Amino acid sequence: MKRKLLSVILMIAMVTCLFTGCSKGSDDSSKTGSNKAEGSKTSDDPVTLTVWCWDPQFNCYAMNTAGDIYTKAHPNVKVEVIETAWDDIQTKLTTAVTSGQTNTLPDIILMQDSALAKNIINYPDAFVDLTNSGIKFDQFAAFKTALGTVDGKKYSVPFDNGAAITCLRTDILQQAGYTLDDFTNITWKEFIEKGKVVLEKTGKPLLSNQAGSPDLLMLMMQSAGAWVLDENGKANFKDNAVLKEVIDTYVELVKSGVLVEVNDWDQYVSSINSTTVAGAMNGCWIVATVTSAADQSGLWGVTNVPKLSNAGATNYSSQGGSSWLVCANSKNKDVAADFLGETFGGSVELYETILPSSGALATYLPAGESAAYANPQDFFGGDTIYLKITEYASKVPQVSYGVYNYEARDAIGAAITKIVAGTDYDTAIGEAQKELEFQMGQ
Amino acid sequence: MTKAKIKYFFAYAFLIIVSFISIFPLLWMLISATNTSLDVIRGKMSFGTAIVDNFKQLIQTTQIGQALINSFRNAASLTIISLIVCSLAGYAFEIYHDKWKDGVMKLLLLSMMVPFAATMIPLFTWFGKMNLINTTAGFMLPSISTAFLIFLFRQSSRNFPYEIVEAARIEGMSEIRIFTRIFVPIMKPTYAAAITVTFMNAWNSYLWPLVILQDKKSQTMPILISNLISGYTINYGVLMLAVSISTLPTIIIFFLLQKNFAEGITGAVK
Amino acid sequence: MKKRLTMGKRRKLVSWLFILPATLLIAGMSFYPMIKAFLLSFTKGFGKTSEFVGTYNYQRLFQDSLFKTSLGNTFIYLILQVPLMLLLALILASLLNNPKIKCKGLFRTMIFLPCATSLVSYSIIFRSMFALDGFANSVLMNLNMISRPINWLGEIWPARIIIVLAITWRWTGYNMIFYLSGLQNIDPQVYEAARIDGASVSQQFRKITIPLLRPIILLTAIMSTNGTLQLFDETKNLTNGGPANMTISISQYIYKLSFEYSPQFGYAATISFIVFLLVAVLSFLQMKVGDKRD
Repeated sequence: MKRKLLSVILMIAMVTCLFTGCSKGSDDSSKTGSNKAEGSKTSDDPVTLTVWCWDPQFNCYAMNTAGDIYTKAHPNVKVEVIETAWDDIQTKLTTAVTSGQTNTLPDIILMQDSALAKNIINYPDAFVDLTNSGIKFDQFAAFKTALGTVDGKKYSVPFDNGAAITCLRTDILQQAGYTLDDFTNITWKEFIEKGKVVLEKTGKPLLSNQAGSPDLLMLMMQSAGAWVLDENGKANFKDNAVLKEVIDTYVELVKSGVLVEVNDWDQYVSSINSTTVAGAMNGCWIVATVTSAADQSGLWGVTNVPKLSNAGATNYSSQGGSSWLVCANSKNKDVAADFLGETFGGSVELYETILPSSGALATYLPAGESAAYANPQDFFGGDTIYLKITEYASKVPQVSYGVYNYEARDAIGAAITKIVAGTDYDTAIGEAQKELEFQMGQ
Repeated sequence: MTKAKIKYFFAYAFLIIVSFISIFPLLWMLISATNTSLDVIRGKMSFGTAIVDNFKQLIQTTQIGQALINSFRNAASLTIISLIVCSLAGYAFEIYHDKWKDGVMKLLLLSMMVPFAATMIPLFTWFGKMNLINTTAGFMLPSISTAFLIFLFRQSSRNFPYEIVEAARIEGMSEIRIFTRIFVPIMKPTYAAAITVTFMNAWNSYLWPLVILQDKKSQTMPILISNLISGYTINYGVLMLAVSISTLPTIIIFFLLQKNFAEGITGAVK
Repeated sequence: MKKRLTMGKRRKLVSWLFILPATLLIAGMSFYPMIKAFLLSFTKGFGKTSEFVGTYNYQRLFQDSLFKTSLGNTFIYLILQVPLMLLLALILASLLNNPKIKCKGLFRTMIFLPCATSLVSYSIIFRSMFALDGFANSVLMNLNMISRPINWLGEIWPARIIIVLAITWRWTGYNMIFYLSGLQNIDPQVYEAARIDGASVSQQFRKITIPLLRPIILLTAIMSTNGTLQLFDETKNLTNGGPANMTISISQYIYKLSFEYSPQFGYAATISFIVFLLVAVLSFLQMKVGDKRD
């Protein structure tokens, strides 16, 4: 009887023990791989740089390759990649910073460009200012470095290219009597006119888009050098002439049938791979999706995006793309910065190695001059699409996404859904403006 | 007689329809696991031949073995500890009930009503200070005791024959012995149901393991799957194979335990 | 040796000891962070910029149209889904408890499977089944029940109904197993006696099954109410809150405020406490009705 009671008491003791944290293994907390050598550090101390990024065939692969290249010159430095989905990186980052546990972060993280301003401005102490680290920022596409620059301080090393492209099925265009050139350097008006002809003659819409997704609209905004937030970061929906034109164009695309709306990403991919539509317009990373239908090799072409009619309008834009940041808690900040500078910011060899198998296109401009970029691609009818895209990247208008980018995108997404469903423009945009102002007014 | 037959016909028809609707997505998942990504995305609905390739790629690109072991270890140990702590409490809340304990029970129920997203950050801050990040204890502590399990055992004990407890006491059995020797065997159906759902919840838990287990080696299945769908190009065949594998343990546990909570236990009560 | 306690006092002490570990753990792991979060709901900003703002966040609720939408949506799900699912689960459990039905193990397993099915795979298939050119539309068109395809996930009410169906599909088998395990404690002779007295199946269901399962029904009702008010997976994965936020749930909004948007933790905590209050009141009412000892 007594023994049983004792066991209950023991159990309680165990629980209390767990509470106060005397559990085993607590000493290896916050061990995220970064080397914890204290005191004076010589350049030969072994260093492991941990990195969070998310696509094994793309940025993880690029990071591992960069690690190999760097280790050759600096045998004491190793790079360990921890594959982590982007949403999970954001969750972990937010949790770590707001709870003051920044020692749980790795040395380097990869961040979506759309979240750069939000995270850098909200957590300025969490990242290292790389302005004076020796990284040659002027060798990257200007619009990319601008995204990671806050108050003149440069925090991010640009990685992949999000330059916008239009992928089109040349065989289907041919049936309608067009070539790829007919869709190069054109306006949205021409695009819709020609799209109607293609639809009439072949039954195929040119584009598909996720209903309620603001991606395509934002792509169009940026191509005109305009944005939905003004230079002070205030909501700029009402009386925004470019936005009006963008939305009118989108509604016209849907109404004319040149663009079909689907409900989610899988159906978007499916519509491209199953030839439900004759093209795709997105950041250049969409090439990987397009080429996954190997049986369509030789049938695709790549060109730039149509332009709007306002003064600053261009045929170039950006969608997606990502950049590297060094975390301020890193014990090896200098090594991490040097590593990024020597590889992603200085090694043409790196970009040459990763391009053929990953299709990872650089925003590091000297890489564009390398031989690998000039290789013709059979899938795209022997076109040198990588040269094309690198050229597009250098012409992308610069805009500032701002801290409230996600809020703005959600508001626009809701507005476009309402407008397509029949709500009038002023009502829907008025609501969107109010919604965004509410979220910004905390 | 014929009327009874019609009744059973409807009963079977209903069960068959419900069962078919229930397993349809699972079937589709298994079919997709045998097809290439392109076939999946183009809507192919018959078994394919790509399962070996999918499997090879899954093994090469992910640490699925490690993730399975981690998930299983985490879920199994959490289930065992959790059941001991909660069933004991649930039993006590009912068998020794008085107005104080009923009050405490109501209070405990409140604990599950705040969305975890709101309590996660205070909890994480606290665990960080106690050096519990990256530890098994850190992972388990928040989910060992749940109001749900305690409540389940309390409610299930409602029909427990109290006379047995009285009789055992007269025979001089200690309270803990009554619990382990009499209550536990009689409540086998409830334990079986509780193991199934606790294991399943632990197996699928996502947000907390994501933030608390940062080590590369402690990756669990849900996080592995999250990584598989985060790439710029998703390999749907490989994804569906991983998802199928991840579903198996829960199904096996359910299958092994289901007889216990659904058939012929009533005899034990008498 | 101390004086032995009396039996009654001893038993009382033991009973509290049984409860202690579980209670302490919940106090530490749930109530402590809850109190922290409650204090957070009176602040804005985070870290160094955090400041006390009194009831400002609570006042903001009234101007927040997205909060109102998400609250409305969540209640729609609650009202449509919880009764539907629990009734279905009860019917299935009592059917599968009938000794005359064959292949019970197989049926039980199949009906349980949805909640074990991964969210990833079932959301992909639900979305493709209810796509514009999906399975659901072609069946309905072939049966001449509709004249043109319904954009299930792109229109407000169809999308909400799909979400209700999806939750019901996923959790009915889960609730069924609690009923099944509860039914094992009912003596089959009770049903035998009722049959001899000429009670019909539906009378047996209403007069025996439901009253005897009342404790478990209360449990599932509270759990499902709580689960639906904290609904996240389905709205995030099936519609992502769309079209135009008309299916967004409160939890999804809290998640957005915490991890997608520029974080507003104080405000997110405020909304969490509204959820807390709602579930607490509803559960209290359910306890009032259902938690009686005979």
